[in-house]
Formats: sequence, C-alpha cells, structure tokens
Amino acid sequence: MRTAVITGLGFITSIGNDRAAVLRNLRSQRHGIEPIEFLGNPSLSVRVAGTIKEFSTESPSWRDWRYPARYELTREVLRGLPPHGLYALCAVEQALADARLAAPDLQGGETGLYCASAGSAFLLHHHLAQMRAVRGERGNPLGVISSIAGTLNFNLAAHYKIRGAVGGFAAACASSSHALGCAVDDIRLGRQERMVVVGAEEMNADSVLPFAVMRALSSQSDPGLASRPFDRERDGFVASGGAVCLILEEFEAARARRANIYARILGWGQAADGYSVAMPEPTGAGLATAIRRALKDANLPFSALDYVNAHATSTPTGDRAEAAAILSLCRESGSAPPVSSTKGLTGHPLSMSGVMEAAFCALAMTEGFIPGNAHLTDPDPACEALNLPRTTVERRPKLVLKNSSGFGGSNVCHIFGLS
Amino acid sequence: MRRTPASETPPDTESASALLRHFPADVVAAFDRFRETGEPAAAEIVVFAVIRDHMVDRAAAANAQFARPQVLIDDLGFDSMAISEMVFFFEDLFLVTIANEEILRVRTVGDLCDFVRAKHAARASAR
Repeated sequence: MRTAVITGLGFITSIGNDRAAVLRNLRSQRHGIEPIEFLGNPSLSVRVAGTIKEFSTESPSWRDWRYPARYELTREVLRGLPPHGLYALCAVEQALADARLAAPDLQGGETGLYCASAGSAFLLHHHLAQMRAVRGERGNPLGVISSIAGTLNFNLAAHYKIRGAVGGFAAACASSSHALGCAVDDIRLGRQERMVVVGAEEMNADSVLPFAVMRALSSQSDPGLASRPFDRERDGFVASGGAVCLILEEFEAARARRANIYARILGWGQAADGYSVAMPEPTGAGLATAIRRALKDANLPFSALDYVNAHATSTPTGDRAEAAAILSLCRESGSAPPVSSTKGLTGHPLSMSGVMEAAFCALAMTEGFIPGNAHLTDPDPACEALNLPRTTVERRPKLVLKNSSGFGGSNVCHIFGLS
Repeated sequence: MRRTPASETPPDTESASALLRHFPADVVAAFDRFRETGEPAAAEIVVFAVIRDHMVDRAAAANAQFARPQVLIDDLGFDSMAISEMVFFFEDLFLVTIANEEILRVRTVGDLCDFVRAKHAARASAR
C-alpha cells in the first residue's frame, strides 16, 4: 500500500517564522501571545493575540506591506495576495527548501495543492466598501481573487504552476486537517506523487473580532494566562494567524530521492457531531468516532499511541467535549497517553491549526519530545483524568494522534508514525 | 502593545494623494499640474510613472524608457491582469469609469496618454 510521508515543513506562526525558532519555542514553552489593541479601542474585551512577527500587513495595499527581506517576491505575485497569502507563500518557500525541492519540481502534474483558509474578511470588506462608495461603477479587478475563500489555492497554484489536483477546504477550524487528509488519500490512491498542503489565516480586526461577539475569545489581559487549554480558569481562545505548509510525498518516491522524512501519515478519519452550528456536542461522541476511524485506518489500537496533540482551544465547552472523547477511548483501552494542546503557546489560528499542529507533531517525533500544556496550573475537573503533562517531556513519541474540530461539528483526526 | 488603526477600513475611495503616495515627488507635482492645466507633458509624466509601476518585470521597469509607439503587452510585458489593475488605478486617480470597449482600444503607450487626457478633459467639461 502506498504511504504518504511528510518531507518538508514551513512556518509563519506566532511562535516563530522558521523551523528552528518554532522548535526552540515549542520545546522551551515560550509563547507567542502579545497585548494588542484592535481598532484603536482600548475598551474592547479582546486584549491579547498570537501575533505574527516580522510582517506588517495592516494596509489593504500590498505596496505598504513589510516582510523579511529573505523572501524575494515579485509584483506579479504580490498584487493578487491577501495578507495571509503573503504568509502562505513564505511558508511554502520554506517547506520547499526544507524538502530540497524547487518550484520546477511541482510543475509536472504529479504534484497537487490543497489549501485551507477563511479568505480575507479584511480585503473583502475593503473592496466591497470601495465598490459601494461609487455605487458599483468601479472596483479593484483583483478584489475577488485576493479576498474570497480559495484565494490561497488561486494564487499558489498559479505562482508555482501546479498542474495536479488543486482545491480549497472550508470547514472552519478543521479545514486544514481536511486538506491534509484528502492530500493523503490522493497519494495513497496513486492520483498524485506529491502534495503541497497549506493552512493560513490573518490576524486582524476583521478576522478576530467576529469571534469576540460570539463570546468565544478570552478576555484575559495577561498574555501568559489567556490561552490555557484544559485549565479550570480558561475563558476562551486567543486568536492567531500565520501560515504553515507541509510537503507530502509518496514514501518510495521520497526514499528514492533520499528526502528527509519527518513522519508517515498512517491514517485519518472524520465524523461530525450532527448537533450544533457552533457548539461542540458535550459528550465528544463525534470526535471519539473520528479517532476510532483514524485508528482503524492506521490499523492501530488506541493503546499504541504515545502522544495525543489535542485541538483544545481553551474554550470551556470545546476542551470539555474533547476531554470526554479522549477519556472514553482511555477507558475502553485501559491506556492514558500524554495529551497536550500547543495552543497554550500559539493561540488559535483557526483553519490553519490542523496543519500547524501536524507540523508540531512531526517536529516532536523527529526531535524526540512531547510538548507540555503551557499555562495549565489547575485542571478543569472534567479534564483532570487526562494525562496532561505541564512541561515538555523529553521522550520520543513514535505514534501520535492529532485531533481537529470545527464549526458545524466537523471532527478530523490523523495518526502519524515515526518513519 | 501592538495597536491596529482606529479604522482598518480605509476611506471608501482613496484620495489622489493616497494613491500616489509611493510615487516620486515630480510625478505628484505633474499630476497636480495636469489636473489644473491639462498640460499634455504633465499627463505623460504621470502615465509613464503609472505604467512603470504596473510593469510585471520589475528589473525592466527600473530602466525602461517609454515611447508612444510601444505596445503594452508585446513591448512592455504587460499581462491582462496588470492592464486591468492599471485601468482601475486610473479610474480611481481621475474618478472616472472606463468601459471594457475603451480598454480594448488602448494598445500602446501613446493610446494610453491620449486616453487619459481625453477622459480628464471630458470630466472637466462635465463639471
């Protein structure tokens, strides 16, 4: 059977803009959350965010953007990008270099591209406001491609001249895990030899504040306390953004070119709650089913797992439902693998969280550590039966489960194995 | 503390000075002069600068010398997206609406200079 492996990683995240920085901060539990004031309004309840450093994309015009000089981006590329498209392009460049591939390697039709983002509410708002101001008489011709959901795959596929399967996924916070799973299937089924998987999101007023009015965000002002998954005092998630890229390849093809293999993707599964448009089903039954399906796909028992990277975003209801799901499998199997959420360090970058945390799992497996639960001091009684390491565990996990959940009750799980 | 602007949404239509904020001072001055007097030479300075700004090949743009017979696509490497973007820029700069059939008639640098002058004159006479 054909197996998909991860051979390249690229990061623009709140905890670092390259693999070395991400690894260092993940391992040392140094978070990327900072105080922030949106819309010049200090009275807003949202006072912290997982910020993206080294980039300045506050303007709707790419001409005003600032980004690290190590990325050489042409006008032709920049003109159609939203801010998170800029992050995505930088992450893809890193991942290609990490995989020792060049852009021409993507152009033969055997490489596909799956992306996940919510689009750019910021640019869409800007372009529509411009158009409305002149009663529809004119508008930016690049307004659509630079702002709607799908902008990542439009731009990246054109830039890299990708001729294989190309598409985008929109399932809120589970989106990039859907993208990853479908990419794995395309490789397993022999449809593609290589897949570029990208998740990216913006972190600005237009992408963050709509979650505040849902009462989903933490109102903490202390960056060190705001994101604390599984803690009794957690009060919502901390928004973040950025981009992460994974390069997947078929195992034999990767081995033939002596690629560095981070991890095998042994299986994946999904199941929805069928319950609420926004709230998780309290017993976590849908997520538990998704975990079982992923394990079945990987032909592994839950007891074989060395680590579970949780979706846990630090919301009261979400973390509790996920804990219930994992605990149901712990009880069935009589095992209790370490469980942690790395969102205590990064905040929650919405649809990119799945690929970001898949990349973290790949780093943990290759570098030999299990991330701890940063900022967890007093576990929620509903979660405390989980094996929740507070600090980094210096042990190499060989089989890892990664959970993702999103609005509408989408649950997606992946199983990674050390190569 | 990071701060985002009081309004992350810019004005619904950008002012000419905002649109020209990345252009050299002599281009901004030429734009003001053209708007006041309709002087053809001033229009040419503005049009050449906008063409240079929208050229896809940035290395070629830096050293480009423009002449009226040059064809935007064949000689200056414009693609249809860059032409659309440039037309939108002119629409916003001169507060005019440009129809598709008008765009299709603009092939050369000279066509563009003449077109901008005609549009500006039409708008001025309509005021």
